[in-house]
Amino acid sequence: MAIRAKIHKQNLVKIFNPKSIAVVGTNNVKGTVPYDILFNILKTEFTGVVFPVSPGEKSICSVKAYKYVVDITDPIDLAIIVFPSAVCHMALEQCGQKGIKGVVIISAGFKEVGEKGLEREKLLRQIAEKYDMSIIGPNCLGIINTDPFINLNASFARKMPEQGNIGFLSQSGALCTAVLDYALSKHIGFSKFVSFGNKVDISEIDLIYYLMDDDKTRVILLYLEEVTDGRALMQAARDVTRLKGKPVLLLKAGRTEAGASAAASHTGSLAGNDEIYDAAFKQAGIIRCENIEEMFNVAIAFAYQPAPRSNKVAIITNAGGPGVLTTDAAIRDGLQLAKFSEETTKMFRKSLPSNANIKNPVDVVGDARADRYNIALNGAFKDDDVDAVFVILTPQSMTDIEAIAKEVVKVSKQYSKPVYTSFMGEADVAVGVDILLRNKIPHYILPESMCRSFSKVYLFYRDLDNNPHTQHVFTDVDTKIVHSILDEAIHNNHLYLPEDEAGKILKLYGLPVVPGEKANSPDEAASISHNIGFPVVMKIISDEIVHKSDVKGVALNVNSSEEVRNTYTTMIEQVLQIKPEAKIKGIQISKMILSGEEIILGIKSDPSFGPIIMFGLGGVYVEVFKDVSFRVAPIDEIIADSMIKQIKSYKILNGIRGKMPRDIAAIRECLIRLSQLALECPQIKELDINPLIVLEETKGCFVTDARIMLHGLTTN
Amino acid sequence: MDIEEIKNRVKKVTAKVLEIDESEISDNANFSFDLGASSMQSVLLVASFQEEFNIELDEEKSLEVQTVSEAADFISTYIK
Repeated sequence: MAIRAKIHKQNLVKIFNPKSIAVVGTNNVKGTVPYDILFNILKTEFTGVVFPVSPGEKSICSVKAYKYVVDITDPIDLAIIVFPSAVCHMALEQCGQKGIKGVVIISAGFKEVGEKGLEREKLLRQIAEKYDMSIIGPNCLGIINTDPFINLNASFARKMPEQGNIGFLSQSGALCTAVLDYALSKHIGFSKFVSFGNKVDISEIDLIYYLMDDDKTRVILLYLEEVTDGRALMQAARDVTRLKGKPVLLLKAGRTEAGASAAASHTGSLAGNDEIYDAAFKQAGIIRCENIEEMFNVAIAFAYQPAPRSNKVAIITNAGGPGVLTTDAAIRDGLQLAKFSEETTKMFRKSLPSNANIKNPVDVVGDARADRYNIALNGAFKDDDVDAVFVILTPQSMTDIEAIAKEVVKVSKQYSKPVYTSFMGEADVAVGVDILLRNKIPHYILPESMCRSFSKVYLFYRDLDNNPHTQHVFTDVDTKIVHSILDEAIHNNHLYLPEDEAGKILKLYGLPVVPGEKANSPDEAASISHNIGFPVVMKIISDEIVHKSDVKGVALNVNSSEEVRNTYTTMIEQVLQIKPEAKIKGIQISKMILSGEEIILGIKSDPSFGPIIMFGLGGVYVEVFKDVSFRVAPIDEIIADSMIKQIKSYKILNGIRGKMPRDIAAIRECLIRLSQLALECPQIKELDINPLIVLEETKGCFVTDARIMLHGLTTN
Repeated sequence: MDIEEIKNRVKKVTAKVLEIDESEISDNANFSFDLGASSMQSVLLVASFQEEFNIELDEEKSLEVQTVSEAADFISTYIK
């Protein structure tokens, strides 16, 4: 662990559990942030001692005020700085002199306002490092700890949230206030609530690790506008899920291009490519949510209920239609309907009315009261095939909503299986919904949301991977030569490597490049063709030509020495007619692979996540169908396999309509070798192998075309 | 007008706006950090300096001024 990360780990304990707080820069002007921060700390009855620091004031909220933080004689665990940004560094310097280790800077006017703000942040970082302090913020709402032994609302949120086991981390302060309001209306409680703003010092990574070890937190929710260190975020999420079994739910702003530019202008940050985010988050076990509602739907499913054993559900409903809708949604989300045992069926037949449906979904019929729900609930919970129970209710004139809600609470407490509810409607069911939510029974207005939330919980536990994968490193590669080729190209400002050099590099990394050689004359071309065997493919080689077929620089299926000689001459003539400035380096002669499936493999270097590996069905329509999958390097056999199986066209590779399956093992090895190349050669900006022709099972595959783009000297 | 005179008048105006004793204001006192000027009071201070010296200050630049001495220097550039 890096030194600063270690310091943050220690200091975060004091930041969230302070015995004494100084509010530095507060004032007596009601309705302003400096005043409200102090007022909220006092109002929520913080269990420690508070010291207002406010030059020019004798007292604030009847509490004695100090001119400077260094004037306070008692030790201080946490300073909340609310001074204008121009003097925050002066306040921070004094906090350092006072020996305060934890600081939250609420003030705005930093990175988000431009160059001057960036300079101010740099200064804050220097002071923090000098005194081994840790800073949350600046430009944030503050922090909340609902632990009754602390009771800390050091924020300018209007209300303190309920106590709970959800840890919420947000880059946006304004979003926090909306989330708090939403959560209060649904009785959703939090363990810690943190707005970390511009993350000048403490980042989401430090906070995730803090919540990992926080006994009060069971689920971590994260709202991000920018990912500055994607690899560290992935590692933190992996550690939290693998070591503690805590899910990380993430809402990332900037999914669309327009959203990305809005995020950039809002926080001065840049958003990355969304497909890469999706792949990276999935790879790290992060559950990505589409919106706040979905995030909390899933969060309460994790926070309120035990982990399900598997995905077989029992549906209990008082109306047929919603029962069918729920069944459809469940199946669509990859769940299964449990098959009741004979004993359960017998009990239902005996105890429920004759017009009730005693199979799954159980329809207790429209006039059902709490007693019938009791029978159905007990039967479902007791049944061995049931992993979770879904309770549906529609408000009919004879439906005793309140009593049924209480029954659900009472019965579900007797079992260790999860229960989810959907009391459909709004006004009439409100009284029942309130009972359910106060008793931490997940409730969803729509059964579809209930099914989707449970599905995410089920998939999280199913895919929870406690064993770190072992990474195979190939030793039959020649990194040294590859580096010398790449470095020389960069030195000569050749940022695009033509096919022959790209092929050489891939060969040195053990990828099966189709046999071939560069020819410098018609006779040499004929001789090479004769040696590798007909038919051959001929491709022009020139640094100035990226898309060879656009300049008539590709000839396929050339079948004789004579044809090779003629093609050599005419190809050069035609290319020079279309692109007279091109310097022709020769013609690449390669063995023509006559049968096989064309796929594409690639590398893209991402500024946040590092090298990304791409796999998909290749050929000319690759950009139309976009049937590709991404993963962050390194990838091992399991990850490579999941990449291959993820694309829709996997069925084609696996053999369809009597066709033999393709050599998946060979693709897998190519992907792993490519991942090693990407990690060991950071000079590569982008690499395309298109196509890799895959033959039938056990017969291998061939790289028949490749291109490599390099980072320039300035970026590398 | 010499710089000392400007400084003294800046201190007088500051004491009045921030409702503090003039003797508490040193030349290097920072309006926010040492004298507790809120953002609203900082705007008021700029307006009061304009009135006191009968000048029109660049508001954006004025709000960057941090101390009494800096304020006196800044104002002096507007007084012919």
